[in-house]
Amino acid sequence: MTDACQRYLEDPEGHAGHLAVCEKCRAMEEILGSRVHAQPIRVDALPLAPWEQAAYRAWPVVIGGMLAVLAVAFAICRAAGISPLTAIVAGMSAAQMRAYVTSAADALRGASLAWQIVFGAAFVVINAVLVVLLRRAPRGIDA
Amino acid sequence: MRKAILIALILAAVAVTASVAAPLGTGTFHDAASMLTRTAVKVSLLFVWLVAAIVVTLASGREVRYSSIEVRSAPLHTFALGLVAVTSYVLTAILFSYLIPYFVGLPLLAVLALFALLTKIYGLIAVFHAVGTLAAGIRSREQLAARRWLRGDLAMVLIGVLLLGAVRLIPIAGTVVWGIASIFGVGTALTTKFGRREPWFLTWRTVEAG
Repeated sequence: MTDACQRYLEDPEGHAGHLAVCEKCRAMEEILGSRVHAQPIRVDALPLAPWEQAAYRAWPVVIGGMLAVLAVAFAICRAAGISPLTAIVAGMSAAQMRAYVTSAADALRGASLAWQIVFGAAFVVINAVLVVLLRRAPRGIDA
Repeated sequence: MRKAILIALILAAVAVTASVAAPLGTGTFHDAASMLTRTAVKVSLLFVWLVAAIVVTLASGREVRYSSIEVRSAPLHTFALGLVAVTSYVLTAILFSYLIPYFVGLPLLAVLALFALLTKIYGLIAVFHAVGTLAAGIRSREQLAARRWLRGDLAMVLIGVLLLGAVRLIPIAGTVVWGIASIFGVGTALTTKFGRREPWFLTWRTVEAG
């Protein structure tokens, strides 16, 4: 490699004329140039990300859907002869669940010591499994 | 193909609902009235779910989306965690009820009930988003450009509420599907820590001198 070649490698644009006289550098330039294919990024070809357009608020769809459900609820409540508010209060009542839990607690209080130990062991095991499962990081957007 | 499957599912749901609601030759007037009242309760609650879903999505859409993605990318883990969490809630509720005579049980039970309720509401809204996205989500940029209204988190949540709400009206299968959706919901709410994607527990690491 000559000094001219060295100067060309250090500043190719400043010594572009060197390529015309040096066969080695011309060959090297051809090899390097043929491997580089600069392509513009085509955004349209990229896959759609979950957050694209996710913040868009489709109010006509939302209001239309709500009004439709409200109309159907009113119509069915009227046919059943109850007010929608009564239906909602009846649907939200947790009395059945409360009764189950209370009766289970009463049964536990009246159970033998062995059954109480079994319950305690089941409680510890289930919560230990829960903690193990909670330690795993979510996959979500990394999947 | 997808449309054909969807239509077949809707027809099957209609047939099942009709056969359970009005069994041939055995239904009485009282049964029909009871069925109508149950349907009225379910549809009224559906409206409440719709309002709650819209409010939560408007307040924290990104978190709901993250939890919805978790349901779709790791369904098995989400379901397993939800199942274990629901069992844990029940056992803990029984234990706290057992402790009611000792005064500490009641406040603990109230806190547990509040946490369980929050988990279920938030998680089910994430499941609504997941169902809506699976049914009507945008899959290409051409679809995105072509759609005028049916896009965004709010629309996906709305579609999910309407679909799951319609399935819930089917007498026996609806209750089962809603229960499974609730388990998925509790699972995804806990896995993603309500969409915040933070760890529940800090890990202990010793400092190493370089």
